[in-house]
Amino acid sequence: MLRDITLGQYYQADSKIHKLDPRVKILSVFIYIVMLFVCDSFIAYAFSALALAMVICISKVPFKYIIRGLRAVFVLMMISALFNAFFTPGKIVFEFYFIKITQEGLIKTIQIGIRFVLIIISSSMLTLTTTPTNLTDGLEKSLGFLNCIKIPVHEIAMMMSIALRFIPILMEETNKIIKAQTARGADFETGGIIKKAKSMIPILIPLFISALKRANDLATAMDARCYCGGKGRTKMYPLKYKSRDYAAYLLLGLFIAVLIVEKIFVG
Amino acid sequence: MGIIKTKNLNYRVKIKNDNNEVTGYKTILDDININVKNGEFIAILGQNGSGKSTFAKHLNALLLPNEGSVFINGEDTSLVDELWKIRKQCGMVFQNPDNQIVGVTVEEDVGFGPENIGMPSKKIVKTVNHALEKVGMSAFKKKSPNHLSGGQKQRVAIASSLAMKPECIVLDEPTAMLDPKGRKDVLDLVKQLNKEEKMTIILITHHMEEAVSADKIFILNDGKPVICGTPRDVFLKIDEIRSLKLELPQIMELSYRLYQKGKISRYDMLDVDEFVAQYKEYVIKNNMGDIKKIRQSKNDNIKPEGLIEKTIQLQSEAERRVETDVLQLKNVSYSYDIGTSMENKAVIGADLSIKEKEFIGIIGHTGSGKSTLIQLMNGLIKPSEGEIYFRGKNIAEKDFNKRQLHFSVGLVFQYPESQLFEETVLSDVMYGPLNKGYEKEQAEEIAKKSLKSLGIDEEYFDKSPFDLSGGQKRRVAIAGVIAMEPDIIILDEPTAGLDPLTKDRLLESLKSLRQNKGKTIIIVSHSMEDVANYVERVIVINEGRIVFDDATKQVFKNIDELEKMGLAVPTVTYVMRKLKNEGYTEYGDVITIEEAVNVL
Repeated sequence: MLRDITLGQYYQADSKIHKLDPRVKILSVFIYIVMLFVCDSFIAYAFSALALAMVICISKVPFKYIIRGLRAVFVLMMISALFNAFFTPGKIVFEFYFIKITQEGLIKTIQIGIRFVLIIISSSMLTLTTTPTNLTDGLEKSLGFLNCIKIPVHEIAMMMSIALRFIPILMEETNKIIKAQTARGADFETGGIIKKAKSMIPILIPLFISALKRANDLATAMDARCYCGGKGRTKMYPLKYKSRDYAAYLLLGLFIAVLIVEKIFVG
Repeated sequence: MGIIKTKNLNYRVKIKNDNNEVTGYKTILDDININVKNGEFIAILGQNGSGKSTFAKHLNALLLPNEGSVFINGEDTSLVDELWKIRKQCGMVFQNPDNQIVGVTVEEDVGFGPENIGMPSKKIVKTVNHALEKVGMSAFKKKSPNHLSGGQKQRVAIASSLAMKPECIVLDEPTAMLDPKGRKDVLDLVKQLNKEEKMTIILITHHMEEAVSADKIFILNDGKPVICGTPRDVFLKIDEIRSLKLELPQIMELSYRLYQKGKISRYDMLDVDEFVAQYKEYVIKNNMGDIKKIRQSKNDNIKPEGLIEKTIQLQSEAERRVETDVLQLKNVSYSYDIGTSMENKAVIGADLSIKEKEFIGIIGHTGSGKSTLIQLMNGLIKPSEGEIYFRGKNIAEKDFNKRQLHFSVGLVFQYPESQLFEETVLSDVMYGPLNKGYEKEQAEEIAKKSLKSLGIDEEYFDKSPFDLSGGQKRRVAIAGVIAMEPDIIILDEPTAGLDPLTKDRLLESLKSLRQNKGKTIIIVSHSMEDVANYVERVIVINEGRIVFDDATKQVFKNIDELEKMGLAVPTVTYVMRKLKNEGYTEYGDVITIEEAVNVL
């Protein structure tokens, strides 16, 4: 399952979405998610889904790749949906001893399900079409104002960028350690919860040690290449808005406008 | 004054006890005085733990001396107020390609250094392109480093230091984790930078073959420079080299042995051509110019002793084996990500049978499917097509216990020491036997036996595995697999990153496991010399297919095919082939020095 998380894994393709300024994409995803909470009618969802589908089409990221990220959070999604289905009071449509499913509950479950899927797909789209460095560059610039209240934005952005780069490597490492311990006869399947938790030790300890070693090596390598924080640093490709970014902002505005109109007149 | 100069360089680390109190100091570098001129190519040799890496870090001001000083272009590293000025002049490339790449694309990584020193954006783009061109990686500019081979990653790392326009590059075992092709590419690049760009190069390595190309060699032992000089002078000090537990380059070894037998008059040859020229001289001088004569006399001589012994040995072993297949693969294929656009066939139609008491080598370049093949063999992954039989039973059948297969076919992964986790050496090795279902006492007994079989003495049993040296950790990890009492032991590059002495010790222990305990040993290796010296049967994999599966000697006859696959043959085979092509020997397919000495 660990391998299936696509969050933070960049999918290389040559598309208009890939070329957008990361700040545009970050703001768009942020607003998109806010709008999903503000406008929760089915029409609004349909419209949002359509917009997202268009973005996916333009981005050239294969659909299979996108939904792989969903699988990992599927369980979480099911739990929260079920809670809503069982515990929302209202008109009962199905009753079995103490289990009561209401119409309102069902509607809410479907709404939450759709919202969950859209949030995850839209944020995966951000990470799939933006290289981690671009993403952190975007965040660093967008959140630059926080520097005034002494939040080390550059350092946080750097940490994020490194974390993102090492996610695939550490996942591979985890996989390798699991295999190696399985080859030594480890059994991760049988037994109760305590036995299962104990059986994770042979995976976790080597993983931590290796992560620390990698961190140490990387820090040395960064030192050797004159890294000393954000001060006086330049960028190879500084972020600059281009005409396509303004066009994207315009589309975003249109998207908000449509949803608000829908909220006022339909919902 | 040269670009690098050290004056009485000393470096110590504190030794702390369990309560974090300083109990003493350990000297890592002891009074080093060297002077490197601009444009020189220096190789630094020494055992694991001799202080090579620590020394390298001083050149880049990553570490500062406790006593004495290091001057880079005349500036004292401990007195400079801005360290980046030193670091800019002396680029560094480290051993593990993954742990030194910061950028998410090749281009970003190369640009990281120039960004740090505040170069204007436009100039960075230019510098990056230039650096990538020099290392021949321009085509991969926008690619993710995760999708590159080890050799390519190291070239990117070299480009990343080049982008800082350094005058000197320090490379700390850059080829230790690479396959033969990657190693050659990186080494060629380093040589080219030295020749064409007049770049000063400091290369730390375990491969004597690499050190031969340097202008000068420094050998460190316990933090002291013990031998310095040109490769020829250094390697001529044969007894000293041996006492330092290092080995000679293959050609030197061969010429020295022949010299001892009185066959040739000099033994300072470092490359194939030099050796061949010297050998010709010997043949002509002894009035043996008539090649036909040699041929005849060789034929009359029946066969040299070593060869006969070996063939007899092989025959009797073949008889003893009585054709019992332990493991059989029938038309086995394996694909990753089946049904996606990224479907990737890692192993295609593999037919293999592994017999009792064999010593097999698997070779192939990185990504050829070796790792997948060995994981199939012990049931960690299931074949997409084909069947695997263990002692005649199909492992895919329901009544076959797959966990039992993990125990019967032991698999030691690459860098197995990274899987150690227990508090003591002994309990770590007991992990396997306990999983197998042994009682504690029994498990302990087996663990002790397997540790001893790999040369780990009792005094280490209660130590933490993390306090051991690299070579010891490796042996403990391998003991952990042997303790499961497998019939077949598969090891994925067991000698990677070890110094010559530790490497030989490990291979010898494996050899005795086979002889004394009757185990089948399979090693995956990038070292053709090790394969030639230890293994009887070689399986060559290329693009997922088994290309050759034959006796070692037969396989190494296919020099051209192997080279096309990014592999190589032992240096001594190159020598013998050249001699044969020029008509000086009958035996063009010799693969070990031992044999070569016998036939020449």
